[in-house]
Amino acid sequence: MQSLGFAYAMEPVLRKLYPEQKEFSDRLKLHMNYFNTQPYLASFILGAVVGIEQDRVEGRNAVTDVQGLKTALMAPLGALGDSFFWGSLKPMAAVITVALVVGGIWWAPLFFLLFYNLWHIGLRMSLLFVGYRSRGDAVALMSRYRFTGWARQFKLISLVVLGGIVGALPVWRPEFKPEFRLPGIQLAVLGMAFTIILVAVLRRGGSPLKLMLALAVFCLVLAMAGVV
Amino acid sequence: MSAFDTSWMILTIVGVATAGGLIGLDRTAVGQFMVSQPICAASLAGWMLGDAATGLLVGALLELIWLLDMPVGTFVPADSTVAAVFAAAIAILGSTGGVRLSHVGLSILLSIVLAPITMLADHMVREFNARIALRVQADSATVMDSGLAGAHLSGLWPFFFKSFFVYLVFIPLGIIAVRLFARMPDQYHRAMELYVKLLPLLGVALVARKLSIRTFDQFLFGGFIVALAAALVFPASMPMIILLTAVGGLLGANYLDQRA
Repeated sequence: MQSLGFAYAMEPVLRKLYPEQKEFSDRLKLHMNYFNTQPYLASFILGAVVGIEQDRVEGRNAVTDVQGLKTALMAPLGALGDSFFWGSLKPMAAVITVALVVGGIWWAPLFFLLFYNLWHIGLRMSLLFVGYRSRGDAVALMSRYRFTGWARQFKLISLVVLGGIVGALPVWRPEFKPEFRLPGIQLAVLGMAFTIILVAVLRRGGSPLKLMLALAVFCLVLAMAGVV
Repeated sequence: MSAFDTSWMILTIVGVATAGGLIGLDRTAVGQFMVSQPICAASLAGWMLGDAATGLLVGALLELIWLLDMPVGTFVPADSTVAAVFAAAIAILGSTGGVRLSHVGLSILLSIVLAPITMLADHMVREFNARIALRVQADSATVMDSGLAGAHLSGLWPFFFKSFFVYLVFIPLGIIAVRLFARMPDQYHRAMELYVKLLPLLGVALVARKLSIRTFDQFLFGGFIVALAAALVFPASMPMIILLTAVGGLLGANYLDQRA
């Protein structure tokens, strides 16, 4: 469906560049070929293709293979975008937001939307222009944006805040805080030990669904045994 | 339940299904502004139903659990938006006289059932939409007549109806389940309350496992120690604790970068 979306985005530009209906239709069909990348970074490719189509019409560059450029860029940008946006920016925003919610900050979802979309919309818009100016030069993209460096930093910050969520267990809101009659330090250490056990189980092939079910059974057994 | 109450409940469920369907479009079809993330979607559903606090609670519990179930390559993950809106809706609509924590736990547990159903439905929607694209490619007349916009935007409907029908079928069943659960002995309620309180730790484990290749990650432990000290030794508020740990993480990441 991204191929249709790409053609849909190109349609106004192509209509302006190619007033003659036959040529417009041919160029539009060209942009319906297979296309699949990370949706936010697609704007870089879109900008580049607009620039190349413009060059073609103005006689500056009639030979550039637009489909070849799209094919060459979509896979690496897909991997880069998945790693940065889905694998590091979103987790960091979400982890900080959840940490705020367990601490009783009710407006945390607004922080999440604001923080994430400042990056998202800012990058999406600027990438369109970088793509247009560079005509799809991946080196220009990588020299301007440190995606891999940022991704690494965001992942490490997420991990630290995750640890912080467990460490702050004594000050969690009552809705979230386990009601074991233990001093704060022991409660937090118990929480961390439980988390590490879960991580170890996950490494042995546990899935979120299986662990959610197993956790429910565990709680039921504790309740039946009168522990809670 | 009077006829008026029944009609009102049906209208409410249709309203939630419509709003949930619209919120779900943000997942892949429109914008991807993350309104469809559980923490936002469940809060919105809760707010619509007059109990934003329960929605926020459900959303926070589900956020970390589904956070890194990503649509990479051809993998279609479970629809966490449907799970979050469904759980918030049945917890609120199924509870009479205030939402108990145990009802929230059961609602989240029941949302697991929707995971394979939404994965299958999403797969079918994508196949259907791929056929739209192929039809447009094959039909040059559509392109000539500027039917492209219509064909492209028609791809939104399957995404909307997928969520809408799942809500319409499963929310009434979920409400019945929560109401039956309310009559169950107290130990079941205690079990579900404990379940709610352990879910954040499962969420932390799921995200930590995806972000780090180590079981004992130094950054995870560093954050734990800083936060514990801030919470106990220098009693600080949660935003301050998070700020301290985040700054610590940033400094640590920069140190590692410089050393490398």
